[in-house]
Amino acid sequence: MTGFELKLEKTFPYQRPSIDRGYANQTLHLNLSNLDIAARPVTPQMKDLFIGGKGFDLWLLWNAVKPTTRWNDPENAVCIACGPLGGTPAYPGSGKSIAATISPLTGAVIDSNVGGYFGPYLKFSGFDALEIQGKSDSDLVVYVDGIDQTVQVFAATGLPDDAYGLSEALTEHFAQGKPRNISVVSAGPGAKNTFFGCLNFSWYDPKRKRARYKQAGRGGVGTVFVDKGLKALVARWDSGISVDTNSPADRERLKTVAKLHSREIVELDPKQNEMATIGTTHIVTIMNDHDLLPTHNFRFGQHREAPNLGQAVFRRLFDPGYDGCWMGCTVACSHGVRDFTPLSGPYRGRKVFVDGPEYETVAGCGSLLGIFDPHTVIELNFYCDAYGLDTISVGTATAFAMECFELGLLDTRHTGGLELYFGNRAAALEIVHQMARGEGFGRIVGQGVRRMKAVFAKEFGADPKIMADIGMESKGLEFSEYMTKESLAQQGGYGLALKGPQHDEAWLIFLDMVHNFMPTFEQKAEALHWFPMFRTWFSLCGLCKLPWNDIIPEDNKSTPEPAKVMKHVAWYAEYFSSVTGRESGPEDLIRMSEAVYNFQRVFNLRMGFGRREHDALPYRALGPVTELEYESRAERYDKQLTDTCKLDIAGKSTAEKVALLRKFREQQYETLKDAVYQRRGWSPDGIPTLATVKRLGIDFPEVVALLKTNGVTA
Amino acid sequence: MIRVAGKEHPWRRGMTVADLLRESGDPQDYPVVRINDQYVSRPNFAETAIPDNAEVFLIPMIAGG
Repeated sequence: MTGFELKLEKTFPYQRPSIDRGYANQTLHLNLSNLDIAARPVTPQMKDLFIGGKGFDLWLLWNAVKPTTRWNDPENAVCIACGPLGGTPAYPGSGKSIAATISPLTGAVIDSNVGGYFGPYLKFSGFDALEIQGKSDSDLVVYVDGIDQTVQVFAATGLPDDAYGLSEALTEHFAQGKPRNISVVSAGPGAKNTFFGCLNFSWYDPKRKRARYKQAGRGGVGTVFVDKGLKALVARWDSGISVDTNSPADRERLKTVAKLHSREIVELDPKQNEMATIGTTHIVTIMNDHDLLPTHNFRFGQHREAPNLGQAVFRRLFDPGYDGCWMGCTVACSHGVRDFTPLSGPYRGRKVFVDGPEYETVAGCGSLLGIFDPHTVIELNFYCDAYGLDTISVGTATAFAMECFELGLLDTRHTGGLELYFGNRAAALEIVHQMARGEGFGRIVGQGVRRMKAVFAKEFGADPKIMADIGMESKGLEFSEYMTKESLAQQGGYGLALKGPQHDEAWLIFLDMVHNFMPTFEQKAEALHWFPMFRTWFSLCGLCKLPWNDIIPEDNKSTPEPAKVMKHVAWYAEYFSSVTGRESGPEDLIRMSEAVYNFQRVFNLRMGFGRREHDALPYRALGPVTELEYESRAERYDKQLTDTCKLDIAGKSTAEKVALLRKFREQQYETLKDAVYQRRGWSPDGIPTLATVKRLGIDFPEVVALLKTNGVTA
Repeated sequence: MIRVAGKEHPWRRGMTVADLLRESGDPQDYPVVRINDQYVSRPNFAETAIPDNAEVFLIPMIAGG
């Protein structure tokens, strides 16, 4: 370990409040420009309307920024919050932090739900949320010590740049012999030099005696973090946590429902998806078999080599043992690879422990790039984390550059000599190293797909039309890793998502395409209302969604709405009621989310987005762009043209059929938008109506004025 | 003999996943099953034979994302 120095710049002593029914009832505010630190009360309105977690983040951010605020303005805030249920060790998946900021990729709010211990430790230290504004010229470490009841800011020199080395050093430094009491949040050099930097949230693994990591990946929250001059956040709390630490309203009621869910997972996970053994890698081959695994920049959904990246491989590669990213979680899906030796970069030839990969990384840094070698995926995973890069955006952006190269829109003059063909593993790794160094073609890729399209057109003379069709971004955010061409509902799940095409709002692809649970527009619209609302609720409360529907009750299939797993929804309502004392049923959970969800849509509008035009998708998300894609699934597409569209395609060329299908599918997507907007209580332009914001209690004067300014009068 | 969702089920040579699901009478339209530690998806049900003494898990696959 190299020597480093932490010079104390500011100390803020505070009186730690007792946790009451899941809330600390205050938030922590730091301004890095002048090192002002303050604790502010949580108002009853905040709890009633915004619940916690992402809801608190949004409210703090709304009050911090102006409509003109850009991601790198000092007033932009990085907000991190847990939630009233967060930090409960008995209930599976209850340790999440939610990070939010104005995104460098989208210009609007981005939020990311992440494991690790920081959020719960922050809350137990006395703060439901942390808001960081301002900017510092020097690297700062912010230390929230809930045990000694102080917040300290240090000027840091000599700390490692990469997240792995940095978290290890700071964990050791602040642990006072108890490393499990520490959680570190950090980014890395890639976050500094790209627009899709992630944050690494640590948790200490006592069995393996090392800090482990989960990532708040999407939308560049790590980039904002580094731009502010933040090197790291550190929280310290006594890891001897029980259900009482969260001071639930009804302890016995909480223990009863927690035991039900926890035991069910222990019993059923081995019979179902084996999350505790292989994590989300179980779906790689399943997606491939159903033509849903993105390969080669979303051209295709299947590849004969995909089993090389499947669960059978990672079953052997993952280090056996307990991998819960929060205490007591029985899903425990945060697996990792021990004694991995990278072949490139600064860790070349050194043994490392790699946290991951999960499905998104396997697909994004594997099949999407035409790479079917698990060790390259693991190495890309390792360096993305160490450099503070979002593996999804890295994969999707690199895949776009690769396809542009293959199409001849770019050549080695533009890529600095890199032969950027699909499947070029060394080139993919080199792009990531260049992102971290802020050099070469990797620096351009690190700006994201939307900016790449502009750069390639303006500086390299590439055709903007084809790039608009194959550049897999919407709202400026890179797609996560599911093929949507054959699932209209999932097209809506991506295109109508508030932050951009991330699947955490609505993962409907299997329900729609494989189970055929929602054949009509109305059913799709209903699903695109209910699922985003319920999934949003997890981020309000500090929860992971995986226990809800990755392991499901054995009698679920005989329930009226199996897709919703209502038995678990009812348990979550019981969980919320028992902790907060706010008696709630399943419909109340939806209502909570609806208020926050609509508020975020209004927030987007305030930032200059949030209209119908911003819900547009690149055509590749809807159908085949090229003749090659069409011909690879010609039977499927021909059938749709003849059976559904009732067209006579005899004698038509492939190019003509591509055009006909495009016209039909684009119209389908617009019709879906109409149905969803209506179901959500929005105008035909995709803006919540006055009646909707009033019904949800978010009709603040500023909201009403904003809607009226944008032509909403009813 | 094989075990299917925890219950014993007679096995015969050449029995495929599609055969098993048809015979079981289970009304659920499973997209995925697991044979021991191998996942098999619906497009491959008709061509995947189940070995004797296998443990078969019926995966509801509501999950994901």
